Amino acid sequence: MIRLIRAEFLKLRTTQVWFWLLLATIAVGALLAVANIAPHDGIRSEEKVPDLFATFAASPAYILVFVLGVLGVTTEFRYQTITPTVLQTPSRWAIVTAKMITYAITGALYAAVALLAEAAVGVPWLNSKNIPVHFGNSEVQHAILGTFGVIALFGIIGLGVGALIRNQIVAVVVGIIFLIVLENILLAIPVVKKAWPYTPNGGTQAILYTHGDATPVNGVHLLSTWSGVVVLLLWAFVPAILGAAITMNRDIT
Amino acid sequence: MIPVVRAEFLKLRTTQVWLWMLALAVIAGSLIVVGGLASDSVHTPRDVPDVFANANGTLLTAFVLGVLGITTEFRHQTITTTLLQTPSRWAVVAAKLFTYALVGLLYAAACAAVQLAIAVPWLSAKRIDFTLSDPDVGRAVFGPLLLFALFALIGIGVGALIRNQIVALVSGLVFILVINNIIPAIPVVKNSYAYTPAGAVTEILFPAHESTPGDVHLIGSGGGVLVLLAWALIPALIGAGYSMNRDIT
Amino acid sequence: MSAPGGQIVVDDLTKVFGGNVRAVDQLSFSVEPGSITGFLGPNGAGKTTTLRMVLGLVRPTSGRATIGGVPYRQLPNPTQTVGAALESASFHPARTARNHLRIMCTVADLPMQRADEMLDLVGLHDAARRKVRGFSMGMRQRLSLAAALLGEPQVVVLDEPANGLDPDGIRWLRGLLRHLAEQGRTVLVSSHQLNEVEEVADRVVILNHGRLVRAGSIAELSAGTDSVLVRSPNLQALHTALTGQPVTVEPVDPTAVRVRGMSAAQLGNLAFTAGVELHELSLQRFDLEELFFSLTSGQ
Ligand SMILES: Nc1ncnc2c1ncn2[C@@H]1O[C@H](COP(=O)(O)OP(=O)(O)OP(=O)(O)O)[C@@H](O)[C@H]1O
Ligand SMILES: [Mg+2]
Repeated sequence: MIRLIRAEFLKLRTTQVWFWLLLATIAVGALLAVANIAPHDGIRSEEKVPDLFATFAASPAYILVFVLGVLGVTTEFRYQTITPTVLQTPSRWAIVTAKMITYAITGALYAAVALLAEAAVGVPWLNSKNIPVHFGNSEVQHAILGTFGVIALFGIIGLGVGALIRNQIVAVVVGIIFLIVLENILLAIPVVKKAWPYTPNGGTQAILYTHGDATPVNGVHLLSTWSGVVVLLLWAFVPAILGAAITMNRDIT
Repeated sequence: MIPVVRAEFLKLRTTQVWLWMLALAVIAGSLIVVGGLASDSVHTPRDVPDVFANANGTLLTAFVLGVLGITTEFRHQTITTTLLQTPSRWAVVAAKLFTYALVGLLYAAACAAVQLAIAVPWLSAKRIDFTLSDPDVGRAVFGPLLLFALFALIGIGVGALIRNQIVALVSGLVFILVINNIIPAIPVVKNSYAYTPAGAVTEILFPAHESTPGDVHLIGSGGGVLVLLAWALIPALIGAGYSMNRDIT
Repeated sequence: MSAPGGQIVVDDLTKVFGGNVRAVDQLSFSVEPGSITGFLGPNGAGKTTTLRMVLGLVRPTSGRATIGGVPYRQLPNPTQTVGAALESASFHPARTARNHLRIMCTVADLPMQRADEMLDLVGLHDAARRKVRGFSMGMRQRLSLAAALLGEPQVVVLDEPANGLDPDGIRWLRGLLRHLAEQGRTVLVSSHQLNEVEEVADRVVILNHGRLVRAGSIAELSAGTDSVLVRSPNLQALHTALTGQPVTVEPVDPTAVRVRGMSAAQLGNLAFTAGVELHELSLQRFDLEELFFSLTSGQ
């Protein structure tokens, strides 16, 4: 398994996607920090400081890591490198597991980079406004840990969706439209919106905002943090398992 | 030119993307309208336009269709045949712009028809006056005809410029969905929001709203149309003049 | 590496695509270690599909294929057991040739310098650090071969490996295949280049419409097929001279016949003693191309 994971990292390292998506992560992280502090309704008090560190995972920026995960498996089908991959490792389970681990780690690294970008822009700025940033604060820690968890899981979600769908364009388009457009539609429809807490965004919000229950989103109450983690884990594992069990076994011609 | 356009329609018709994207646009748009009507926020005729205008997320289908319309040729190397038959890059891009603008229009018409079929009986059941001749309603219902066409054009332009399918799609979607929405919150650049695709959509569909995100200054619906045309044509021009001339290997 | 370990057995294999395309139909044959087997058939005969089923990439509709008695997907060390190069290039265009092989080395736990050794072997030394995007067809084919040979496999499966190779490359490939077979490895090669196959292969398996039409060694197939072409202005006299001899005679054109069952020397002697004027007396060797056409055309 270690060998497979090392090979996956080598695959990732020897193409350029990781670089461009990392650059985008840094840029978006920095922009989000500005957008959280600059406006009049931005961060003005110490209680709001955790928002600075939750913003990357809470905004649609997570799709950068989602896309990285999707590409991690669909690129293999796109360029048929899947042929040597399965010839060397016939077990689809082993391939998908190695990729899940690789992309969870990669997701965590991207989360770290995004958090660093946010801190680099936000901390000095807030200090100059006399708003102290305490990393010992439990809410700040919650936001940071939550970001690591959510982004790492979105790496796996992307991977699972890619394994399930196999077609690069379909997986990317369906994934992004589902996460950003359809989920908002869901949230706007009465009755149906009760399902929203169980979607990836619903789970993410539950993980990031401890005060979730007090401030319902569009009239829908969020789950608890740990239930949010379970929701995202399901979104991460169910497609990956279906992919490994079914679609990855389909004929490679 | 006419045969080239006809060939473009045939290319589109003989794959399945158009059907899936159309289904997505129609279904998602109708769901948003249903959501709007079912929620308790629609009481007076003044609330009606937003029910339709809120379905603007479906514009992305036109963008995606446009991007695929040109990048698929590079992806499957059918571009070789296309350029051997029509060596002028300008002609190829122009034919695609024309074709996809028309397809965008048809998409929007299909969406509007289904949305009206849902909304008209529903509103009359709720005893809310509804008339298409009301300028705000007309704008919300028919504005998308223009917007779908323009977003399809932007897709073609971006596709012609970037050529690589996945890069064009991901960077386009990330820009529209992520970066564009951050802009109004960032000082210095926030007034450029009026000149971005999302800003233009707001200008065309929601001109009545005083509170735009981040209180940015907007430039009216005519301005919005010009902005979207620029977003479509500038990449298309660079694409036809430069990218499409790069080596095809 | 014991000899039977490398036997490929295809047993009653059938593949139906999408409910109506019968790509492979009840196909059975085996490929022995220490020999080169040519896998032949017209376009669409089912060669690639068969090879993909042998490699566990395509799931058979029925029947099974094993390598050394084991289905591919259950092999413990696939890279070190079977090396395969299939028709379609499977490389990420933005990756260098060297990195492709290094990834494979990582999975198979081979030393990294193996990648460079293989690139030297296939003549891609100078292109090792170039992106595959810019590779010519023959360069891609060479890279596929390098990937197939990376783990020094006991079994080598190649789908049209000569495609796109230059004359030098084809000669090199011929030597390589012979060398592999001499080492006791199993070599299965599909090809359309019949002359090449006839020269290098020990056995052939011929497919048409997904079905086996002939399998056997070149020696078996060619047995009794040598003939002598005799051209004479006076065929009548030749016929008379041949009556009573253990031969078969078939007409070729108004001035020539094909004679089986007698060597050219015997025929020349016969004609000389009978005083028949000859304009041509030539040995017609076994011709795989002719056999191929007779087996696969008109169906
Ligand atoms: N994925 C697929 N879906 C449907 N039909 C397929 C698929 N793959 C192969 N076929 C069909 O199976 C048949 C055998 O194809 P195959 O590629 O095995 O032929 P081949 O002998 O390798 O031909 P060639 O000499 O042209 O390489 C053909 O009719 C082909 O169209
Ligand atoms: Mg083939």
